[in-house]
Amino acid sequence: MATLIVVDDHPIWREAISRDLTEAGHRVLASVGEGRAALAAIRRMGPEVAILDMQLPDLSGVEVLRGLGEDCPTKVLVLSASGESADVLEAVKSGARGYLVKSASAPELVEAVERVAAGDAVFTPGLAGMVLGEYRRLANAEAPEGHPSLSERETEVLRLVAKGLTYKEIAARLYLSHRTVQNHVQRTLSKLQLHNRAQLVRYAIEHGIDGGI
Amino acid sequence: MGIQTQLRRAIAVFRFAALGYPVVLCALMFDSLARPALAFLLVAAIAAWTGSVGYLYTHRGYRPALLYIDLAVTVAAVIASAWVFAVEGRTTPVSVGPWLAGAVLAWAVARGRRSGVVAGAIVAGVGTVFRGGVSENTFSEAVLLVLTGLMVGHLTRLGVEAEERLGQAAARNAAARERERLARDIHDSVLQVLALVQRRGNAIGGEAAELGRLAGEQEASLRSLITSESYRHPLDGQRDVRGLLGRHSADAVTIAAPAVPVRLPAHAAHQLAAAVASALDNVRDHCPPSTRVWLLVEDDAESVTVTVRDNGPGIEPGRLAEAEAEGRLGVAQSIEGRVTELGGKVAVESVPGQGTEVEMRVPRSRGRTDGDAHSGR
Repeated sequence: MATLIVVDDHPIWREAISRDLTEAGHRVLASVGEGRAALAAIRRMGPEVAILDMQLPDLSGVEVLRGLGEDCPTKVLVLSASGESADVLEAVKSGARGYLVKSASAPELVEAVERVAAGDAVFTPGLAGMVLGEYRRLANAEAPEGHPSLSERETEVLRLVAKGLTYKEIAARLYLSHRTVQNHVQRTLSKLQLHNRAQLVRYAIEHGIDGGI
Repeated sequence: MGIQTQLRRAIAVFRFAALGYPVVLCALMFDSLARPALAFLLVAAIAAWTGSVGYLYTHRGYRPALLYIDLAVTVAAVIASAWVFAVEGRTTPVSVGPWLAGAVLAWAVARGRRSGVVAGAIVAGVGTVFRGGVSENTFSEAVLLVLTGLMVGHLTRLGVEAEERLGQAAARNAAARERERLARDIHDSVLQVLALVQRRGNAIGGEAAELGRLAGEQEASLRSLITSESYRHPLDGQRDVRGLLGRHSADAVTIAAPAVPVRLPAHAAHQLAAAVASALDNVRDHCPPSTRVWLLVEDDAESVTVTVRDNGPGIEPGRLAEAEAEGRLGVAQSIEGRVTELGGKVAVESVPGQGTEVEMRVPRSRGRTDGDAHSGR
């Protein structure tokens, strides 16, 4: 059982998601429709997982994630109907642990929440494609401060995820353990988040902003 | 500030400057003027009128009454100057010169070229009559006044029309932006509801599941419509491959792609998209209906790669070569043909029971990536 907060500006969605998760045996502490209220509720109640919509009336999903900061124990799963991949990628770089489209079925959602609560990253093929694309973009941008890169094995694993193979199928194909596959995937995400944080800090220093991040 | 207001100010300035003409001429010929005291008074009166009319035009606009009074005063000044500015020993008196054009300019700007021409003709006609009939001086003055009325009236209309068109274009732009914003908002909430219907429908089952499936298809096609719309903009002869593939997105087809546009020259992008469509047709024709497909779009500096993977029954080893030998590989050939025409490569990999993978790699500039199609991956 995990404790949860649901953040979505559509009341009907909040209800549907909360019901599915409650029926699966999880405890929904609160469901809120605005970004600032979400930040306050997450800080006060400290749920294990927050399910976050990208489009909120006051703050964007990315702003909520940045507002939580890196020390926040709550893990965030992004749920988005927008199809705006740039937003989703930004959210994942800002610390989200996974991404599901809203059309995902109830069992898929429950499974994703449980995996995020257990500390795993939830990679859909769509997200794997974006992360692969982002590493290539960073490599081609030739940034002066260097860029994160994937090992050959990590690239291989990520491509298979993007092509729709399950972790089990990948493990079988590459003769790896399920856990090793999971670790490879996890690492591709954490390297990207680390790079993103370093860039934000560098930006803040260059522009003379203190303590804002 | 509108063009009319700016012209009004310019004319006020012009009239003041033109005042210098009678002032300087009278001062130079003061000793030979027949009526120096009256001449001084007339110049003072003209200057006073110039000041008041300038003020009134700029602050009250071109009122009809004021325009008529201005023209009357100008005509009166012409008549008076013919007698007051008389010079001893000369047949023609000193002229008020370019100052006369002030009223003509005001009429032209306020009422257009026809009124400008009429005002110019009146002022010139009166001048000709009272200043000793037609002479080289009065004739050239008349021509200049009429032409001034014509040209300034014409240019003013052109300026005003351009200003209106500019205003309309700006309004249209603002309206288009607002429509776009509204469309985005509406699309977003429609997408949410469609996704919700799909989700609840599937959970309830039966007929509701069918409704859910339909809602899901609509959601996918609407979403690809929005995204391809926004991808269409910045592309100087190039197309975003993601936008072209977006229409395949459906329950059974998952698309994975970078978050930034994947650009190819328009022809190459369309050929590649057509090759992908063939590969998807192939899956539909040869695999059971429950088969799922994943599209992966990858972009590195030299090439664009699209992989089509299905989880169908796969192709027995040798079947491919066999079919090719029998000339029965229509679809595979159409994929191969399109991709090789672009200087690219196709790789087909299939394991019985584990589906089929078709990898299409197209170089950014033709012929550059021959030989390294599979390096580093």
